[in-house]
Amino acid sequence: MNAKQIHRFVERYLEATGCAILEKSPAHFKVKLSPAADRELTNRPYYWSFVDRTGAEPETMTLLLVTDSAKYDAMTAGPGGSETSAQAGTSGAAEQAGMAALSRSFGFVPAGLGARMPRDDLYFGSRRLEQLFAAARRGGRYVCLFQQPDERALHPYDSMPCTPWLGVNVKVGFVCDMKREEMHAFGVSLATGAVVEQFFDRLHGMKLTPRLPANVHVTGASLSLKKAADLIEQTLMKKLKACDYGWAAAASERLKEELAQLAHYYEPLLASADEAERERIAAQYEARKEEIRWQLKPRVVTEVVSAGLFHLTGLA
Amino acid sequence: MHPIPRTDRAAGGTGKTPHAGVEFVFDRSWVDELAERAARNGPWDDWTLFQLAVEAERAKLVTSFDELQALRCLPAFEPMPHQIATARKVLREMGGRAILADEVGLGKTIEAGLILKEYIVRGLVRRALILVPASLVLQWVRELNQKFGIPATAQKKAHTWHADFVVASIDTAKREPHRELLLSRDYDMLIVDEAHKLKNKKTSNYQFIQQLRKKYCLLLTATPVQNDMDELFNLITLLKPGQLGGQSEFVANFVADKRLPKNEDRLQEALSAVMIRNRRSDGGISFTKRIVRNIEVKLSPEEKALYDAVTGFVRQRYDESGRDLASMLSLVTLQREVCSSRDAVFVTLFNLFKKTAEDSPLRVKMWELIEFIRRVRANSKAEKAIELIRETGDKTIIFTEYRATQEYLLQFLKEHGVIAVPYRGGMNRGKKDWMMDLFRGRAQVLVATEAGGEGINLQFCHHMINFDLPWNPMRVEQRIGRVHRLGQTNDVKIYNLYTTGTIEEHIVRLLHEKINLFEMVVGELDDILERLEREEQPLEQKLARLVLESEGDADIRRGIDALGRSINRLRADAKRSPKPAYDRILPVLSVVPEADAAAEVRP
Repeated sequence: MNAKQIHRFVERYLEATGCAILEKSPAHFKVKLSPAADRELTNRPYYWSFVDRTGAEPETMTLLLVTDSAKYDAMTAGPGGSETSAQAGTSGAAEQAGMAALSRSFGFVPAGLGARMPRDDLYFGSRRLEQLFAAARRGGRYVCLFQQPDERALHPYDSMPCTPWLGVNVKVGFVCDMKREEMHAFGVSLATGAVVEQFFDRLHGMKLTPRLPANVHVTGASLSLKKAADLIEQTLMKKLKACDYGWAAAASERLKEELAQLAHYYEPLLASADEAERERIAAQYEARKEEIRWQLKPRVVTEVVSAGLFHLTGLA
Repeated sequence: MHPIPRTDRAAGGTGKTPHAGVEFVFDRSWVDELAERAARNGPWDDWTLFQLAVEAERAKLVTSFDELQALRCLPAFEPMPHQIATARKVLREMGGRAILADEVGLGKTIEAGLILKEYIVRGLVRRALILVPASLVLQWVRELNQKFGIPATAQKKAHTWHADFVVASIDTAKREPHRELLLSRDYDMLIVDEAHKLKNKKTSNYQFIQQLRKKYCLLLTATPVQNDMDELFNLITLLKPGQLGGQSEFVANFVADKRLPKNEDRLQEALSAVMIRNRRSDGGISFTKRIVRNIEVKLSPEEKALYDAVTGFVRQRYDESGRDLASMLSLVTLQREVCSSRDAVFVTLFNLFKKTAEDSPLRVKMWELIEFIRRVRANSKAEKAIELIRETGDKTIIFTEYRATQEYLLQFLKEHGVIAVPYRGGMNRGKKDWMMDLFRGRAQVLVATEAGGEGINLQFCHHMINFDLPWNPMRVEQRIGRVHRLGQTNDVKIYNLYTTGTIEEHIVRLLHEKINLFEMVVGELDDILERLEREEQPLEQKLARLVLESEGDADIRRGIDALGRSINRLRADAKRSPKPAYDRILPVLSVVPEADAAAEVRP
């Protein structure tokens, strides 16, 4: 993700969670968080449980999110910005000393903890962006949507049928001591059992709404979700069978070698050990074998990122 | 009125596999949840967040087994080529179990951080334990957070053990109740710094590490073998039992004598599967330049009088004692201190005075010396130092050997409106960190008595004043090493203050002109000094003898020249002779980046 993509990502997240953007440029946002976003991002569980229990009016935090730090620094270093930074300088001295004391005790204090408006530089791999990623994932797991039909094409008294689809995003990991990943988006028609791939690219450009639109009726589903999941698994399995498993063979080979090496070391040791020692050595040997398998055993793991029900007029 | 898809109980994996010998599990945890929400008609999540989540997952996708993914996540920080090469080798060829044995100062911490980060990015490490000496805990926490964005926590209270990335002292970790807790958990990665403390398999440290359950493991040490071959065996066996065979096999195959390896090529091969050692001499690792200026300071007549009086006193005592060097060391200190500050001489002299019997004639002589001290009004060196500090106008570190001089300098600088902070060995960890913070922030000058020990990394400063020079060249090198290290982006300016007509003048001449210490390749020095000691006696003692026994300046000069010659001869020997036996067996990783480095993923 480059700075521009990150900027766009952040903007859409803030809008979707109803945050109030106080100030923005192509390089930054100043934003007053919505309660929902504050719960996700500010790591203040005690505060929020206080609000929930007492019904107090919540005071959400204001953040400075910088999506292009070079550009932002250049911008604020200009004549307009120097004034505010000078202000920050005087009021910040005591704050800084406090931060330094904390950092001496804990080794590191995240930038901006305790500051009025903490600044976060969002780059790919930064903690705040990771947090936004995770928040998006938590807040976007299950949806149920309806396709809005093209209104002009519709006779006012007509009702258009739409078919329920199950859409699932699956992340597949090929894992040994290393890992490679793939993303798949499957769609299953709950009417016919047809399975399509790249399902979400197909949704691109459709107008989807969480409410059942007028002039639309939903046709019944003949497939259970469980059955649809089976169909997805079958389709995925077919795809996976066609993958290259050279990595797995190599990992199995290494696993075998390492186990042999362990045996070579431990077995003579066990043979010559006395009764008391033997148990300890055997336990150690078992533990080492477990570790090696944990490290090297080739496996394919799947993880469903999100799933949803999509009622589409276009696809049967 | 939403359609309600019928659903059955979600079942687990089907036991099928896409490939023989490969485990497969299909995630079905979502089926029930989705059905449940459909049945209750909600609550449903936001469509935009749903899309953003997919975008985020796509961006994070690890598309290749091989390429380093961590690099694109570290915009604030550029690891050096040998560090990247090391990380790549540990990931690709060693499966995440390795001994990182770079020479001091090449960034083992960075390499370990890079490897850890890579596994985190790949989702292969979620929980790691990092065990280091107590004095390094905070430094590790800082580096992992600042350089790598890894949310590492210093272990303080019992509950911090539950953090995902914990840095703790090994001595704490191995004690109950911590021990039991740690042994009950699985760690995706274990990192042990200063792992040469794990050379003896009978120690509690060794056994504790052996019992911890871990998937990946990094052991960091600059000296994987110091005394005997057993240490090497124990360390490797801790990481990978059987790599060098069983104990008796190892002895039969690789040990000629307790301290001498045999079958070196085969041993090196076996080691290189688990150990990486980068050397400074490998090239490809570039340091900034060292610019050395020797600054002459003329003593005031009062200072000169004091110097001469002390020298006379010291000589006389030496002759009286029957030239017994061992008992004379405190006197030699006196002689050296007189070049530093009158405060330093006074403290030592006062202590000597107290120890001397009340009726001893020596007391009278000492009293005379104190009279000389009293007459000295100014410190010519301090004046020169402040001139230099004003000239550079930049952060400067002043090193002195003596506490009293340090106190004096702090006072002196304060009087002259320069903000200075002290640093010394006796301070506790928190205070040292505090002083470092102050120096990094408001203070312009750090006055330090201690250069050794870990934890003072002063890359942000590139001016260094040697207010007085230690007679042990290693200590000089340690001082320089605090500032002139990886990460220093400026040429380092070193100012040596020396007083004319004193022993200092000769010391500077020896260290700088004769053996060219300041420009020597690091590592070369250890070797030479070791050889020097093996031949006769340590350099410090040679110098002391020279000072005490020589008749006049010309005599000292001859002695210094001779010393310089013998050091240079050793140096030439060192270059000619093969490397020490241990060094020969340790594997070498070429730091030259591989051809595909250009294809590294960058944002």
